[in-house]
Amino acid sequence: MLRQFQVDDLQVSFNGEKVLNHLSFEVFPGEMLAIIGPNGAGKSTLLKVILGMIHPQGGAVRMESDKRKAVIGYVPQSRTIDEETPIQAKDFVSLGLPAKIVPWLSQKERVTVKKAMMMTESLHLAKKPIGRLSGGERQRVFVAQAMVRHPDVLLLDESTANLDPNAQEQMMQLVQRLCKNQGITVLFICHDLHMVKEYSDRVLFMSRRHYETGSTDEVLSGKALEWLYHSTDDEKPKKTGLFREQRDRVTDHLF
Amino acid sequence: MFQYDFMQYAFIAGTLVAIMCGAIGVFVVARSLSFVAHTFSHIGFAGAAFAVYVGIEPLGGLLLFTIASALGIGQMGVKMFRRDASISVILSLFLGLGILFLSLSNKQANFTASILFGSVVGINIQDVWQIVGLTIVVILVLAVGYRWLKFDSFDQVGAESAGLPIRWISVGFLLLMSISVSVAVQIVGALLVFALMTVPAAAARCFTQSIFGMILVSSILAVLGVWFGLVMSYYTNAPVSFFITSFEALAYFIGIVYQRLVNRYRVAQLN
Ligand SMILES: Nc1ncnc2c1ncn2[C@@H]1O[C@H](COP(=O)(O)OP(=O)(O)OP(=O)(O)O)[C@@H](O)[C@H]1O
Ligand SMILES: [Mg+2]
Repeated sequence: MLRQFQVDDLQVSFNGEKVLNHLSFEVFPGEMLAIIGPNGAGKSTLLKVILGMIHPQGGAVRMESDKRKAVIGYVPQSRTIDEETPIQAKDFVSLGLPAKIVPWLSQKERVTVKKAMMMTESLHLAKKPIGRLSGGERQRVFVAQAMVRHPDVLLLDESTANLDPNAQEQMMQLVQRLCKNQGITVLFICHDLHMVKEYSDRVLFMSRRHYETGSTDEVLSGKALEWLYHSTDDEKPKKTGLFREQRDRVTDHLF
Repeated sequence: MFQYDFMQYAFIAGTLVAIMCGAIGVFVVARSLSFVAHTFSHIGFAGAAFAVYVGIEPLGGLLLFTIASALGIGQMGVKMFRRDASISVILSLFLGLGILFLSLSNKQANFTASILFGSVVGINIQDVWQIVGLTIVVILVLAVGYRWLKFDSFDQVGAESAGLPIRWISVGFLLLMSISVSVAVQIVGALLVFALMTVPAAAARCFTQSIFGMILVSSILAVLGVWFGLVMSYYTNAPVSFFITSFEALAYFIGIVYQRLVNRYRVAQLN
């Protein structure tokens, strides 16, 4: 199977502290890859390396798109939206359009913006100021902004965090539709194993020194679960009562 | 009133400066640079005083000082400069420098008044041409860089992750600001440039939520304010800047009331 891209022996450290330590994995076109792992494991850092915002000290990300450079859409983990800057959602979405020298939007670009908002079910929000939208509405507008570039790959950094269960489902279904209907490869970081189980094709588990990729069932039933709530730094998971209880609860959900 | 050359010049120059300040102001406010603009005008004051001291044109000194500081701030990083402490240090330092240069040269009182409070009667045809030229440059650059600038100003994280050269955009914008401040200082004066650059933009936010709409409303408010100021000043002899700032302040308060009313109307409709 053709790969969308390959991450090869990636090494990133900040101030001498190793954050990504010889990380390698592959991503296949049109799949939904969930990235899970404890806080501080380097998940957001990985997405920034894929985007080219951070240059790795070693290793590389190899895009294997045949003809052109793959376009990457990205929805960052946090974003400062000035509540005092009441710009409309549609203006916010159009910011993402590829830059041009002409200041006004062409007819074609207007259609692109409209389509992106339609795909993300945010068209009815078009004229609302972005600062006044709810968390879930905002996330959909953010995804729309990433969509106007017609991305081949979509990177979502905790786009379902802070959403109520219903909104989470709605968001993930929307992403799944983008993936299946538009053939977009999706990498999403998510702490909710429920969502991961339901919506991902494969999972990348990351902790500071342990990485694991595989099908969703494999990773979620394997060692990753034990790593999940314990040891960002390779301690043996302590099998405390609390841990067992938590693990059992998670597994109950899953199987 | 228009039988006098100087009034014609004042209207032409004032209108252009107002359009420029109104437009650039939308970004100044969005990037929280209001007080940086204020600082620029004081740096400009020192520059103008320096120019008089060494015997070159005030505009030359204004541009020299403000452009140099724009580059300096770009080096140092805008975030650091935007801190209260840095702003107070630099603002007072340059105000002091300006006063020093003025006392060293002998052209004090008249010049001080016109550079601090603005002067309209002093504008000659040559100034008009300079202002026209610089304004056109600023507006053209704003138009060409509009998409980059608006992405970076209204969604910085998004712009950075989309791969925009945010550092260059930031420095470029500071340069545009320094040129507009230099031009505007000659008309409204160093103390009130800030008003023309931020108040119309702040008012515009109350009336519209589209970025282009804000630019339009902000420029229109700035132009109306300048016209109002020129006419009133002609008939009353009171300083132009007083009328301009009163007009803009009024527009701002009307904007706030308008926004309240619209919100109330919306809520009423929902119920
Ligand atoms: N620009 C930076 N400079 C210094 N250290 C950084 C930088 N960015 C990230 N780090 C460090 O790298 C580590 C990984 O950060 P990262 O944001 O990738 O974690 P994460 O897996 O996304 O965590 P979370 O689940 O909390 O979002 C953290 O310890 C963080 O402090
Ligand atoms: Mg993160």
